[in-house]
Amino acid sequence: MRSSLVLGLGLLLATHVAAKAELVVGAVIPLSGASATQGEDQRRGMEIALEEINAAGGVLGKPVKLIVEDSGGRVPSALDAAKKLVTVDSVSAVIGEYSSGITIPIGQYLVQSGKIHLNIGSSSNRIRDLGATSFSVLGLEAVSSKFAAKDVVAQGWKKIVIVGPNNAYGQGMASGVKEELEKLGATVMSTLLYTEGQTTYRRELQQAAQMKPDAFVYSAYGKDAALMNREAFELGINKTPWYAIYLSMCTADSQRETVVGQYGMDLNFVGPNGKAYEEAYRKKYGMSFKTSFSGYGYDALKLLAAAAGKAGSAEPAKLREALIELGKGYEGATGTITFDAGRQRSEQPYLTLKMGQNGYEPR
Amino acid sequence: MSQLVFDLVLRTGDVALVAVALSAAYSLVRFPNIATVYYATIGPFLTYVLARVGLAFWLAAALATVAVGVLAVVLNATVFDRLLRSGSAIAMIGSLAVGMLVTAVLLVTAGPDSMRFAFALSPPQDLLGARVTALQLWSMGLSSAALLGFALILFFTDIGRCMRATAANADLARATGIDAHGVIRVITFASGVLAALGGICLSLKGELNILMGPDLILPVFAAAILGGLGNPLGAILGAAVIALTEVIAASTNFGPLLGQAFLFLPVNYIGATSFAILVLALLFRPYGLFVNEVRRV
Repeated sequence: MRSSLVLGLGLLLATHVAAKAELVVGAVIPLSGASATQGEDQRRGMEIALEEINAAGGVLGKPVKLIVEDSGGRVPSALDAAKKLVTVDSVSAVIGEYSSGITIPIGQYLVQSGKIHLNIGSSSNRIRDLGATSFSVLGLEAVSSKFAAKDVVAQGWKKIVIVGPNNAYGQGMASGVKEELEKLGATVMSTLLYTEGQTTYRRELQQAAQMKPDAFVYSAYGKDAALMNREAFELGINKTPWYAIYLSMCTADSQRETVVGQYGMDLNFVGPNGKAYEEAYRKKYGMSFKTSFSGYGYDALKLLAAAAGKAGSAEPAKLREALIELGKGYEGATGTITFDAGRQRSEQPYLTLKMGQNGYEPR
Repeated sequence: MSQLVFDLVLRTGDVALVAVALSAAYSLVRFPNIATVYYATIGPFLTYVLARVGLAFWLAAALATVAVGVLAVVLNATVFDRLLRSGSAIAMIGSLAVGMLVTAVLLVTAGPDSMRFAFALSPPQDLLGARVTALQLWSMGLSSAALLGFALILFFTDIGRCMRATAANADLARATGIDAHGVIRVITFASGVLAALGGICLSLKGELNILMGPDLILPVFAAAILGGLGNPLGAILGAAVIALTEVIAASTNFGPLLGQAFLFLPVNYIGATSFAILVLALLFRPYGLFVNEVRRV
């Protein structure tokens, strides 16, 4: 009786240890909704990373497990997904989401649950305040606003109307860009925050057009942006220059004709070490990168695997220390990833682009 | 300026079709049927599905409108007619419940995302200074034709005379041999068709999603009540008033009043203008702008 009990206990302990040793990572990304195109690209990046990691024998002697959940682009379903990953799948870390308005609540939940959170697509400055176990592998908006404002002013545009979604990302983007533009001597005539998911944006566009700015500076999620670009084209408002913050996010779903000639900036998604990744993506999906966001998914998972290997454990607390250590200069596909004291990527290279007939053209 | 007039006409067309549908049904079936605005959601969704299957858009739209008309008749016979025996308030709440059910079914089957018809991009044309696309013109033509057709039926055909007679005095109409039930079926069918067409016209210009119907409740009810519930053609004028206030509210620059260069009403609050009109109408003209002697509500 006693021996069987001890044996049972031993078995239980053994399976427990084994379960802990395996690295299980969750991802909450928008596979449906307005940003589905970007979400799918994030997933592709993670999938390639997963294949590479497991082809090389995995981590901690076991293959890494990745569980991807669809956020639907909505906060409630994203939170449900994050809760499921933590309570049912017992993940060590969760990667996601895309939109800041969703990344912030799931990040808060994950930090409270003591899990690692890796932001791979959101740039609101409020992400910095999520807490001790949250990391960003892409530069936040403080970095991007400055870059975009300088680029806009360099085009000679002085009177600007800013357009963005009425959520954490849009509000932060609009106020950040406004501040930086005004520092450089440009005038922001108005800031127009639109409600996401509408069936038409004609009225917003007509209001914006009445101000007759030198240029519109905008940032909008995939399908909302597509409708807005189409209606701007139909109203002839696209004759005024449009400058997109994250050009690939704003134009990936749009009909080419409606966005040709747009200026923009975007994340530099291929660093010096990214060629092999670019090649792997092209080989697997038969096309070049659909958006600029896949590389961040790839880097995030690779970084987590490296951290688990370094820590020799999948425990969130140990992963955190390893991530901070690795983040002193990790060579990722998207360039060198260096975390500042707040665990946010401190240096983020950007690209200046223009939309041509055949796609993005460097300026 | 001409752009404003054009937008006004476009918006009037969208609201008018559904408001006329609501008002026409009310003239015979005495309760404000909230499900009418949800018919305006089902119409474009059915069209979308049929067009995806491979039908030509116009055929798909025709089939969808007829299907919604039949649905309206069936719902009226099976649900609303029974509820109406307990009172018009009960029937109205019942119609709201049916509407919510429609939204829930669409949410599960079609999902929350916006969709759009696969028309080629049409470059804008200059029409007397306004920028107009072919689809907008089609939508405008479609709604005008539907409204005109309905008016012709109402005033120049036997069935139209029967409708008006039954609406004015059902007992008397029955005594003269008019088949009241038949007339009710016809007008319910027509109301379903008009509402579905309204939704299709609306989605032709932008996109369609499951919130189209609920978004129409306020403007449509405000327009129908302004025109006098039960007075279908009054609803067209009601819709024009609503569209006018919406267009003015959306395009007026309030900045100079407050010492700023530009200040526009956020587009989300523009729906509040129809709410304001609805409240004003209920307070001061509850029987509509055009009625003094006959109580219609």
